[in-house]
Amino acid sequence: MATTTTKSPALLVGQSLRRREDPRLITGTATYVDDVKMPGMHHACILRSPHAAARIRGIRTSRALEMPGVVAVFTGEDVAHLGPVPCGAALPGLRVPAHTVLARDRVYYVGHPVAVVVATDRYLAADALDAIEVDWEPLPAVADPEKALEPGSPAVHPEWPDNIAFTYKQEGGDVDKAFAEADVVVRQRLVNQRLIPVAMETRGVVAEWKPGDRQLTLYTSTQIPHLVRTLVAGMLKMPENRLRVVAPEVGGGFGSKLNVYAEEALMAFVAMKIGKPVKWIESRRENFVATIHGRGHVDYYEVAAKRDGTILGIKLKLIQDIGAYHQLLTPAIPTLSILMMPGLYKCKNVRADLIGVFTNCTPTDAYRGAGRPEATYGIERMVDILAAELQMDPAEIRFKNFVGSGEFPYQTATGLSYDSGDYAAPLRKALETVSYKTLREEQRKAREAGRLIGIGISTYGEICALGPSASLPCGGWESATVKIEPGGQVTVLTGISPHGQGEETTFAQIVADELGVSIDDVVVLHGDTSLVQYGIGTFGSRNTAIGGTALYFALQDLKEKLKKFGAMLLESDDVVWNRGRCVCMKSGKEVTLPEIAAASYRAMKLPENTDPGLVATRFWEPPNFTFPFGAHIVVTEVDSETGAVQILRYVAVDDCGKIINPLLVRGQIHGGVVQALGQVFYEHAVYDENGQLVTGELTDYAVPKASYIPAIESYHTETPSPVNPLGVKGVGEAGTIGCTPAAVNSVVDALSHLGVRHIDMPLTPEKIWKVIQDRRTA
Amino acid sequence: MIIEGTRSVALEPQRLYTLLQDPDTLARCIPGCESLVKEGDQEYRLKMKLVIASVNGLFDGKVRIADPSPHESFRLIVEGSGRAGFVKGDGVIRLTSDNGAGTNVHYKGEVHVGGTIAAVGQRLLDMTAKMVIKRFFDKVSEEAVAKASGT
Repeated sequence: MATTTTKSPALLVGQSLRRREDPRLITGTATYVDDVKMPGMHHACILRSPHAAARIRGIRTSRALEMPGVVAVFTGEDVAHLGPVPCGAALPGLRVPAHTVLARDRVYYVGHPVAVVVATDRYLAADALDAIEVDWEPLPAVADPEKALEPGSPAVHPEWPDNIAFTYKQEGGDVDKAFAEADVVVRQRLVNQRLIPVAMETRGVVAEWKPGDRQLTLYTSTQIPHLVRTLVAGMLKMPENRLRVVAPEVGGGFGSKLNVYAEEALMAFVAMKIGKPVKWIESRRENFVATIHGRGHVDYYEVAAKRDGTILGIKLKLIQDIGAYHQLLTPAIPTLSILMMPGLYKCKNVRADLIGVFTNCTPTDAYRGAGRPEATYGIERMVDILAAELQMDPAEIRFKNFVGSGEFPYQTATGLSYDSGDYAAPLRKALETVSYKTLREEQRKAREAGRLIGIGISTYGEICALGPSASLPCGGWESATVKIEPGGQVTVLTGISPHGQGEETTFAQIVADELGVSIDDVVVLHGDTSLVQYGIGTFGSRNTAIGGTALYFALQDLKEKLKKFGAMLLESDDVVWNRGRCVCMKSGKEVTLPEIAAASYRAMKLPENTDPGLVATRFWEPPNFTFPFGAHIVVTEVDSETGAVQILRYVAVDDCGKIINPLLVRGQIHGGVVQALGQVFYEHAVYDENGQLVTGELTDYAVPKASYIPAIESYHTETPSPVNPLGVKGVGEAGTIGCTPAAVNSVVDALSHLGVRHIDMPLTPEKIWKVIQDRRTA
Repeated sequence: MIIEGTRSVALEPQRLYTLLQDPDTLARCIPGCESLVKEGDQEYRLKMKLVIASVNGLFDGKVRIADPSPHESFRLIVEGSGRAGFVKGDGVIRLTSDNGAGTNVHYKGEVHVGGTIAAVGQRLLDMTAKMVIKRFFDKVSEEAVAKASGT
């Protein structure tokens, strides 16, 4: 307990410990993929299509092969034997285009990989790309999903001229009856624009083939090393135990690295082909077109309600921009939106019609929140629009419709079972924090003085701890091995693959408390398939709720074993485990954990039916998701002359279940909110009508900078989840989920007296200024 | 992107028309032109260096003159590609007398770009196009003045 600042023997769970990961990250001593260097290592660069749609009439590589330092050039024909880039999601009638590792006779989006050059130096490889001659026949392209659905639009994949990738319907209750009985129906088209995830570290792969051992090692910047191993081994048609995947330090993923990419199999192929290690590091511009995008919804909502604000029914027509291909989970993402359609409200009648649409664009897939921010944005915007229609206070209409705190577990119209909650509590706390009544009064006065102040509320729910295996294409459990070493130190091998979430700290807190060891004696290892037992990985706010629970159960197993050895050493059956010691209840004598560890490995004597050593492994399958919730309030001021928005106050009250480390929870909220403010005000992946991405680098695609971000006031309520023994729910995506509707509601509220009902994100000053001008001249 | 404009040049239409059809003159006047080689009747191969935003690169392409109406107008079709992407343009150039010794040149056309220049240069494309056209006609004017004074 020497490392903590609080009095011994305080428990560490619940304390704001700084991340143990940070020193190496901020001193430049961490190892990312690009830091991996090997003797004889070659470098690869990838030729990508400049066309959104084109036929490849021919490729000539001879000039490139003559360039200095170039050792090989491979095209689609060379890798035709590799399996397709996998789509893990299955939906009835899903159309899955053949997603080859390199394009063969046709390209379908700007950035589509066409050839790979391997050279002794990265710059020589890049130079040689220019010498590859491709005979293109450009074809008409379509980039807008709604246009793609129009008859006569260019077909992204010629075999499916309607561009429909899939349709999916879900219905609960009696929607038609609800709408027939309604006093009021509000309708709105909401666009959840296409975003680029922009992880600080782009993707990268190093592949090394050892022919003698017949072992291939793949270093890749991924959130799911084990799934990459399984799926890339499948693409290579190689036994899985011949492939080792290492996710070293990963500089941000946000879902963009919850995937299996062509380049992972391609670099494996190259390394085996040339017999040398090979490195590919994605450039930033490449990252903008070659790594998945997020969001990309057009939603048509209809909400039916009684005059008193009771929500009766929700209809949603959801158009999901798929892009040119399905990546790992592409079709599954919008189905998550549908599951969350009712939000925190008691509405039992819902109908969703989902259409996935192919476009000549980079594929979309999971991006922080993955379907849930879109759903929350939808319902929370609609509730505000309904409140405005009924001239009700937006807080009041929410209180009126919340699932009550006594109604858990609550069965939703979409088939979920909400685990626990007190949805009114965070909203009450947020309202108190901003002094809501006074604030409304101030807003009124400001309006009279010509100032445009807005107050925006969102009360969000989310689906976390993904998830029960039945709900995922890949297994939804998690694993942990805990080893008490002969010297008494503890090593944890976790199946999750943290890359910024801080489990090297939070898991060590749990271990320290359970076993009564110093946190300094705990090491948490992850991200290497040769080191760690199989695991699923990091996404869907699952690390602590599922990986932490597997760890918790492994620790319980170990405590049982420690007690057996303790009982043997103390020659008593009446022993208890007490914070790092086994104590005899009769004599009061005790043995410490290091003494037991030494005895268990020395094994001069063993308890009956007990093996030497202190190692326990647990795989844990969660019985349900967890359902965190919260309330965000954003106060804004709009400058009527410039359209610029200033955030005056940002209050977040989040309930993510039991909190292991408040500092890290706050960090996740801050990060999520910042990313969401990016969507609200700045970010938009814009394609022109020919399918060219015109926001192709950071000068044109605006991610928020520190100076754009207000102080975020972060508070919590703590409602334990009954789903796992730790009581935790998850918090990795809460900020992106709660923020967008609160911020947009706030800006719309500021302009509501001008008759403004909705503005689509991003809320750029230009857009807002135009809306204000239109209203003034109207 | 639509490009449209008018520019006056101090040379009468007949002689300006001839000047604009002369590969050597064009090679001197096109900003960044590295070579312009006649490949067929009214068809040229053009190598041109172009800088847009943070992208620069050599474009290798074809220039074709179509629908020539001597001393009055012609259509220009340009197609080029390079490491920075591709450019396609199609426009009409019309020459009218300014009732003095000079010519008003009217140009109107549509330009499509793709690849890196579209991704990173879109913002500056309009400006760059205007600048390239201005520099071109500045040079043409210089040549015209030399031609005019040379006779």
